Amino acid sequence: MEIITKLLTETFGLQLDNTGQLVAGGLTMALIMALVMATCAIVWTWAERKVAGFIQSRYGPMRVGKYHGALQPVADMVKILGKEDIIPDDADKPLFVLAPIIIFIASLLPWAAVPFAPGFIASDMDLGLFYIFAVSSGAIVGILMAGWASNNKWALYGAARGAAQMVSYEIPLALATIPVVMRTGSLNMNDIVIGQQGGIFHWNAFHDPFLFVAFMIYFISSIAEVNRGPFDMPETESELVAGYHTEYTGMRFALFFLSEYANLFLVSCIATAVFLGGWNLPVGNAVVLPGLVFLAKAVLLVLIQIWIRWTLPRLRVDQLMHVCWKVLIPLSLLCLLGSGILLMVSGEIAA
Amino acid sequence: MSQKLVDSLKSEFGDKIVSVNNSCGDESVLVPGDSLPAVLKYLKESESCEQLTDVIGVDYPERTERFEVNYLLRSIANKSRINVKVAVEEGMDIPTVSDIYKSANWAEREVFDLYGVKFRNHPDLRRILCHHEFEGHALRKDYPIEQGQFLSTPEKLIDDIEYHGGAFRADEVEGEDNPFDLLNVNIGPSHPATHGALRIEVQLDGETIVKAKSEIGYLHRCFEKEAEDHTWSQVMPYTDRLNYVSSMLNNCIYASSVEKLLGVEVPQRAQIIRVIVSELSRIIDHLVCICANLVDIGALTNYWYFYNIREGIYYDIIEPLCGSRLTTNFARIGGLSHDLFDGFEDAVEKHLQKMEVAIKEVTGLIARNRIFLDRTVDVGVLTTDEALSYGYTGPCLRATGLDYDVRKHAPYSGYEDYKFDVPIGENGDTRDRIMVRMEEMYQSASIIRQGIQKLTPGPIALDNASVSLPPKESVYGSIEGVMNQFKLISEGIKVPAGEAYGYGEGANGELGFFCVSDGTGQPHRLKVRPPCFPIFSAFDEIIEGLMIADAIAILGSINIIAGELDR
Amino acid sequence: MGDMVFYLFALMTVLSGFFVVFSKNIVHAGFSLMFTLFGVAGLFAMLGADFLAITQTMVYIGGVLVLVLFVVMMTRIPAQNLPKSSFNRKIPAGIFSVLIFAIVFKVIGGTEWNVLPVDAPEATISMIGQKLLTEFIFPFEYASIVLLLAMIGAAILIRERKIDDDEEVQS
Repeated sequence: MEIITKLLTETFGLQLDNTGQLVAGGLTMALIMALVMATCAIVWTWAERKVAGFIQSRYGPMRVGKYHGALQPVADMVKILGKEDIIPDDADKPLFVLAPIIIFIASLLPWAAVPFAPGFIASDMDLGLFYIFAVSSGAIVGILMAGWASNNKWALYGAARGAAQMVSYEIPLALATIPVVMRTGSLNMNDIVIGQQGGIFHWNAFHDPFLFVAFMIYFISSIAEVNRGPFDMPETESELVAGYHTEYTGMRFALFFLSEYANLFLVSCIATAVFLGGWNLPVGNAVVLPGLVFLAKAVLLVLIQIWIRWTLPRLRVDQLMHVCWKVLIPLSLLCLLGSGILLMVSGEIAA
Repeated sequence: MSQKLVDSLKSEFGDKIVSVNNSCGDESVLVPGDSLPAVLKYLKESESCEQLTDVIGVDYPERTERFEVNYLLRSIANKSRINVKVAVEEGMDIPTVSDIYKSANWAEREVFDLYGVKFRNHPDLRRILCHHEFEGHALRKDYPIEQGQFLSTPEKLIDDIEYHGGAFRADEVEGEDNPFDLLNVNIGPSHPATHGALRIEVQLDGETIVKAKSEIGYLHRCFEKEAEDHTWSQVMPYTDRLNYVSSMLNNCIYASSVEKLLGVEVPQRAQIIRVIVSELSRIIDHLVCICANLVDIGALTNYWYFYNIREGIYYDIIEPLCGSRLTTNFARIGGLSHDLFDGFEDAVEKHLQKMEVAIKEVTGLIARNRIFLDRTVDVGVLTTDEALSYGYTGPCLRATGLDYDVRKHAPYSGYEDYKFDVPIGENGDTRDRIMVRMEEMYQSASIIRQGIQKLTPGPIALDNASVSLPPKESVYGSIEGVMNQFKLISEGIKVPAGEAYGYGEGANGELGFFCVSDGTGQPHRLKVRPPCFPIFSAFDEIIEGLMIADAIAILGSINIIAGELDR
Repeated sequence: MGDMVFYLFALMTVLSGFFVVFSKNIVHAGFSLMFTLFGVAGLFAMLGADFLAITQTMVYIGGVLVLVLFVVMMTRIPAQNLPKSSFNRKIPAGIFSVLIFAIVFKVIGGTEWNVLPVDAPEATISMIGQKLLTEFIFPFEYASIVLLLAMIGAAILIRERKIDDDEEVQS
């Protein structure tokens, strides 16, 4: 952020006051992040297809691009941009157009607080973790909007399922991170990562049993939060045809698709930062290639999520709610209590 | 076997039995329409005829009592069958038996649809295969085969809720009396889970199905009418299109049904090859059924594990054997079309081993998977009695715990010489249906291996000039051969007048062909008894009270093949 | 520049607020409430109240708005039966609105605002946390208990209705 504002004022000679700096720098940063994240999401679509292919004893994309269909996502983008953009006659047009935009924005906003490396964070705010949960909840409104505006029963069912699921799973998701916040004494993402220095047993996930359970709860809930298998209730192609985006085509559909993968990567990045020590190496205190270490961990988590998706059958919607309200939430409350007691006993509370 | 049943009926009903007939070993009694429910009730309760296999209409335009309705009854406990016939004049009706056998509901609707025979007190006497606006009755002899009708309005299945012209938003509903907490949703005719074209209209309270009604017939081509317009041998390719997943089974069972009417038995080698290809088809059918079912409940990867095997069998065995993968057209009346190709045994063994590996992998993925068990255990339970009453056969019946398998119960094609087990389930739920199919694939593999052991060189078709086509050398080299070929092709096989119900164990249950011949080269009536027709008739009742996701899982597990369901 | 951002958020809040009030389509009104709430969150953020801004987003957009939308979408409000406001109701309503606006305007204009040249605190969250768990522990816990009771109450209300339904079926 500082680097960019400096670049803007010094290199381009812009005369800016404080807020101006904030806004101009923020906009530039946002543009960069949006581009990078959209590209990442596109790359993940390819990775998912390849991994799914390997799991299912087939190849996945092989033709476009020299190496294993490496340019397939580009071809897909070109194709999808060229598709006819259909808005159903009976759809609620303004909402229909707005919905994918809102979902896409909601999937990009949280990236502002993801600490990729020391100093490499778009906005080093004190409320980082809180901010991430808050802005990503905007996606629920987008899903409801898409389902409603499509004027399609399957879409409405998908939207209702999606909203119910995401509202519910936000609770264990947030509760699971609170033990970490208690341990670190901060909601700042940078502080959380820095607090995990000193090898694998200082990482939050492996610090004590309660935090490990919290990590597991976070991971499960995050899969549900991004609506992926085995929790892909809002889409369930065999039941709801395609759920809330049944009626969408072309670029609008692509926005849903991209935000799904952006979210997938996002929750993995957050898990990395909050539970898996961020850019810290498993051994020692040294900070070596922090960005790469961070990305490696996040990519590993994404691959695990892909692996889970292609292995497990799908839950039923009532079982999904059962898992959330009767298993994960009580468990995360227990974790909260347990790690609170542990902190008191060990006197490890951050000042 | 069924003589005992006839005697018992005679002593119970005496002069009410109009006549007794035996054709090709099948006993039939003709009773007046009004005493039909009493006869069926007696047979069900006193002679333990648990199952009404099918209700078959036949049209004899020259008779005064023009229609003959055949009720095929089976006692699994006593291993016997009997055919109760009723003759109906045009415009007259007969009492329904759908209160005695649940399978009669849809079966009678079919007779009503195709012949116009009315059933008194039937709960829901609507057309079933033809469109509801269809005029006339397609299988009557005086309905011209080429007469098409253009029909377009979809049928309203659940009436007691107002339709809103596609709109379902609260603010678009007029009036106060719409119970808006229930929502009508069409699953199908084009829906990812229907695997074909069929429509289930469900009324939903949240995600729970309050009421369901299904409509079939989207794939109705009137196979039976086609059959009446072709010679017996020309029907063979049409049978490929019944259950298009396991066409070999249809071929073999059709051929053996006509052979039953002819009173001939095919040579040993042909029988063994029929068993082998039937079991291969059964394996393919089960593979496709299980993998599609798993896709429906979200376990996508299993699909490729099974589908690869299926493709392997198709490309390496079925296609070299008969030239195409799905439309096999392999069996012939009196034998087979070709002999096996060189290397058949090795190819089969290779793919059986692959299949066993694949089953192990898929079982490993699902058998103790919590999510899979939550989705399938105690979902879509049907008790044995209900299943029997609905006319269930095959894996779906065996999943309820009854070991009825035609291959054991009434062996054909030499199945009595093979050693195999009949796997059964316990609860009759979705999981049992899947697992029974899994185990059956192992059993089929064992049968195939035994069959290959038994294979000895020999003829693959009957040496009977009035049934089998002459060898090509004789056709090209002698006048008798040419004439023989010409007569058989242009006039068809002259099947002696009579009727016979030939049946076998299809992949999905009992597949039967009720053949009526009038002595010409063409069938007078050929009725298919598709296993999934009675199975699907229970679907509405099974899914009421369950959720959409359950309905989809059950629909996959009962394995509906639209080509066979709608014919 | 800062003013521009302020006006942007203010405009967004006011315009979408207008839309919420005047839109005939109740679902559109519900969705535009999102922009109102978001605009307010932006204003909070500009005032340095970052915790408040984010809480606003989380609670109002992520929670309250979703519930509002659910209710709006799932209940049946026939368009024809919407209460039509007649002219003689509009007059008193208009008078009252003008009056309230005048009072508020007068009060805002007449107040001596103590504008202190204080920099917004860098981190409000730790301060809020400290205050909540020391000085304001009683209201904080009290609010929690009230919310818990409300939750239990809601659960009981739903259960009772279900039991009634079952009894009706039996009788």
